Amino acid sequence: MGLASVSTASEGIQFCIFDLRRGQNEGQELDKILFFFPADLPFSTQLSVIGLSEGLITFTRIFSPEAACEVIEAERHSHVFYEAEADIWMVMVVEKSKEAEAIWRIEDLRKVLKEVHSLFVMFYGPVRAMLEKEPNGGLIRSHLYPFIMDYLSDFLVGKKLQLPSFRDCLKERGNVQMLTVGREAAIEVQSLVRILESCVGNTQCYSLILFQDLLVSTTLSPDDTINLFTYAVQRLTPHALSSGASSWSYLRRASTSSHAGSGSTLAHSGFVSEQIYHSSDISPSGDNNHHVSRPLQHGKWSKGNDGFLVTDIWGVDVGSSMIASPTVWLQQTEERMYLCTYQYKGLTLILLMPVSSILNGEQGVSAVKQQVLENASLKILKVEEKLSKGWGGENAYHVGGYRYLLVDGDRNISRASPPGKVTTLTKESLLAMSKLREEVDLEKGRAKWDNAGLEKDLEVCIRAKNNAWVIARVTRGKELYMVLEKANETLLYASDAFEKFSSRYCNGAFSLD
Amino acid sequence: MSSSSSSISSDDEPNSNPKPVDDELSLASVTLNESNGNGSINVNENENNRQDGGEIAWGRKNSEVEVEALSSPSSSGYAGERGSSSETTNSRIEDDEIQQVNNDDGFVDGVNHSRASPWVPGKRHVDEDDASISWRKRKKHFFILSHSGKPIYSRYGDEHKLAGFSATLQAIISFVENGGDRVKLVRAGNHQVVFLVKGPIYLVCISCTEEPYESLKGQLELIYGQMILILTKSVNRCFEKNPKFDMTPLLGGTDVVFSSLIHSFSWNPATFLHAYTCLPLAYATRQAAGAILQDVADSGVLFALLMCKNKVISLVGAQKASLHPDDMLLLSNFVMSSESFRTSECFSPICLPRYNPMAFLYAYVHYFDDDTYLMLLTTSSDAFYHLKDCRIRVETVLLKSNVLSEVQRSLLEGGMRVEDLPLDPLPRSSISHRMSQQRLLTDSPERFRESSVGIGGPAGLWNFIYRSIYLDQYVSSEISSPINSHQQQKRLYRAYQKLYSSMHEKGIGPHRTQFRRDENYVLLCWVTPDFELYAAFDPLADKALAIKTCNRVCQWVKDVENEIFLQGASPFSCATDKAEFAALMLESYL
Repeated sequence: MGLASVSTASEGIQFCIFDLRRGQNEGQELDKILFFFPADLPFSTQLSVIGLSEGLITFTRIFSPEAACEVIEAERHSHVFYEAEADIWMVMVVEKSKEAEAIWRIEDLRKVLKEVHSLFVMFYGPVRAMLEKEPNGGLIRSHLYPFIMDYLSDFLVGKKLQLPSFRDCLKERGNVQMLTVGREAAIEVQSLVRILESCVGNTQCYSLILFQDLLVSTTLSPDDTINLFTYAVQRLTPHALSSGASSWSYLRRASTSSHAGSGSTLAHSGFVSEQIYHSSDISPSGDNNHHVSRPLQHGKWSKGNDGFLVTDIWGVDVGSSMIASPTVWLQQTEERMYLCTYQYKGLTLILLMPVSSILNGEQGVSAVKQQVLENASLKILKVEEKLSKGWGGENAYHVGGYRYLLVDGDRNISRASPPGKVTTLTKESLLAMSKLREEVDLEKGRAKWDNAGLEKDLEVCIRAKNNAWVIARVTRGKELYMVLEKANETLLYASDAFEKFSSRYCNGAFSLD
Repeated sequence: MSSSSSSISSDDEPNSNPKPVDDELSLASVTLNESNGNGSINVNENENNRQDGGEIAWGRKNSEVEVEALSSPSSSGYAGERGSSSETTNSRIEDDEIQQVNNDDGFVDGVNHSRASPWVPGKRHVDEDDASISWRKRKKHFFILSHSGKPIYSRYGDEHKLAGFSATLQAIISFVENGGDRVKLVRAGNHQVVFLVKGPIYLVCISCTEEPYESLKGQLELIYGQMILILTKSVNRCFEKNPKFDMTPLLGGTDVVFSSLIHSFSWNPATFLHAYTCLPLAYATRQAAGAILQDVADSGVLFALLMCKNKVISLVGAQKASLHPDDMLLLSNFVMSSESFRTSECFSPICLPRYNPMAFLYAYVHYFDDDTYLMLLTTSSDAFYHLKDCRIRVETVLLKSNVLSEVQRSLLEGGMRVEDLPLDPLPRSSISHRMSQQRLLTDSPERFRESSVGIGGPAGLWNFIYRSIYLDQYVSSEISSPINSHQQQKRLYRAYQKLYSSMHEKGIGPHRTQFRRDENYVLLCWVTPDFELYAAFDPLADKALAIKTCNRVCQWVKDVENEIFLQGASPFSCATDKAEFAALMLESYL
């Protein structure tokens, strides 16, 4: 994929990160730009996008000091704002194309910004910290650029970036999907967790277990769990490793797009390297001396003979001249951890141990791996067997007649109809649901600013023009969205169907009594 | 529900949202002069003075309204609308409430407070500007400015002191415009900034009132319409000649008109339904009024309207001419908010923006009593004496046929009350019977027992609005307990507005049915090709009962439609003969 096609891809979208504390003097405005996509836009255009954003952040603070600009809606574009860290803003400008597909929820796009930032922080630590480390900005720019380009390549469909649209209205970014396990399996999983963590010795360590693309167990904090789960589903699980295979995952864009064959992997890497090359040409601090690992690069993970996943993303360890182990930075402990991933069939085990407490670096990590193989292999076999026996496959959580999304905001969990089932809905129903979710987003936002602590309680049932029922219910931090296309025409019937679902699958969490 | 949904089910019927945003109001060539993008706000007196001709032309208008501006701020006819005529200088009121002092959270708290502080017309807080904390915390700002950034109107604060702020707004609009786009909305926390560009006129609303974007935009459209009603769209020519044209003198003294319109956004459903409402009257009484209006219309009057406050008693248009409900709203707001119309018979140039935004009509206005007034509109600037004669004929007939006393009676009795909703369909007598006598029989077995203790109608019904699509009219039940205060009424109407814009979502709407429950209400809405029903219930209302109750409301409305609607008035149509107004074009003046 050449440069020409990349700029075609960028037609509909601009994405920038800037620091309000930088470049405040005339002539130094470029300093504030930490990232800009597409990088080949003239600086004047880049500065104009950032200038408008900055202007509106300042303007809105006159009236709303506690929450500055979140979105600008213009006739042809939406500008979505996210203040990732204090004074570090991410802004995405998306074009409302004439094709009706370009209809999205602002909150969904903001979650994309939030996700890419969270993932960045997981690998490199906060943006501000890196800026302080190297105030000229070269370090952060050289990290942000490849990282975000790799991230965006997940949205690449053909030559176009396809952001989440109304068709994704029954998905929720930024949380995890759980596997429902029986009591017996749960006990097995628990003991596996104990064995895994004991392999590290006396050091505090953490683990995350996935079955297929679903979370089975975690000992991480909620935020770290979401980030690592997101990364695992994007790059580590069996589905992710067999890149190009169509996946039913909620997180992976590939689920609904037309990624086909292994060719797309090549396209991805081409997409990025072209841009990096390009960016280093024009970057204000164009030195490319930093070694930058690219954890989101496609096709870089593979399964080794011992069952552990290997990658050369992190380069070579200078001391041992072994391939360097991946590391991540945990938000909760603010500590850098080695990331060890073991895979057996559908089961993916992630073990995290503090870099600071593993002696001898890579050799120490190898020792832990050895321990895992020796002590946990049998248990892993057993757990895998139990889980795959109980698993209903990709459509395990399909409920006939319903298309739904269930979000538990307190536990950061969501569950939804399988994407393959959601695609059977008509465009009208999906649009109506997307709009309804937008309304609910606004209500939730208002509740957040108006009365902190008081959670929104809301129930909306709409019979759309195409006679589909589109239902949203928000209560006690939980949300349930539902489209019923084949329901009877009465509101009472639709409500009844909703109640049945609530009591059967949600322990009655959404029932009124 | 099932019974009524059958009437909703036809797909072939025309869209029940008959009024797309009017394109007539927007200029074909709205492209702005790029050179305005610099946000320049230099006020050049000399340049403005070159507009002498313009000022003379408008002078007549200005002098009239300026007088009103000098009159007491407590002289509005609105006081009666809220059942209180106490005139107080208390300015702690309404939307100008500063956020922290907001009462929206407590029903009980809201009651006494808002009763104690009726709305006061005219501009308040003129001492504030954008540097004042209090100004920044006002819940809802409205601004009109010119494309060169000159302030024209601000709801709060002195326009002149807001020149810098106004230039900022202009800069935002033109910055986006220079990028080949047009800014519509900025959201920040619970604040929304809504922009509307109308040729050389920019309108901006900054609000934290939870109203949806579409409602706020609609309000800006009305404010623009109100401005056009006073000036006509020919004012654009002033900007063509001189981009830095200062419009404030042209609107001098009309603060009271705008503030009263803005106030109506919180109590008058016509502002978001784009329909008008009638004063309930016996069919024969309205017929009598209509007959005499028709009589004078035939003698060369374009429109004859007899109104009581914001409600229509009868209206007649000549031949094919018909009035858009928004024009009626803006006209009656203009008349009711301007004190001079009350004190004597008036003849004033006005423009109906939906009818013909380019031309003036002439309005003869006469009040028969405190609330009831006649408006005769003509294209002829020298028809005063003819219209005066017409008025005398109308007045004679109205007195003879007791219409005016019937109007007063109806005003006292009020309209439909949720407590009076019949339990089951009965053979109907006249509305006056059902709306007055029945109300006295508080223990009538026909009615739910709750009604007497003031918690609304059956099944927890608190309020409803029924809009007839074909008639362009709506009827809403009287605001009654437990919606006790203006605060609560305002909150209810804002909930209706949300419901309205959700139902009429662009691109996918209108939806057919909506049920919505939150902490404050259960809301039900049906949209059919014939009517729209909006109903508010107690938040704990039972769904099935609420649906039944809505069916009954629809039946009730149908039973009394002859009394609550003006039948036979032609619905709005765009087929107006604009040629006849050509002579009135302001071009000659400017």
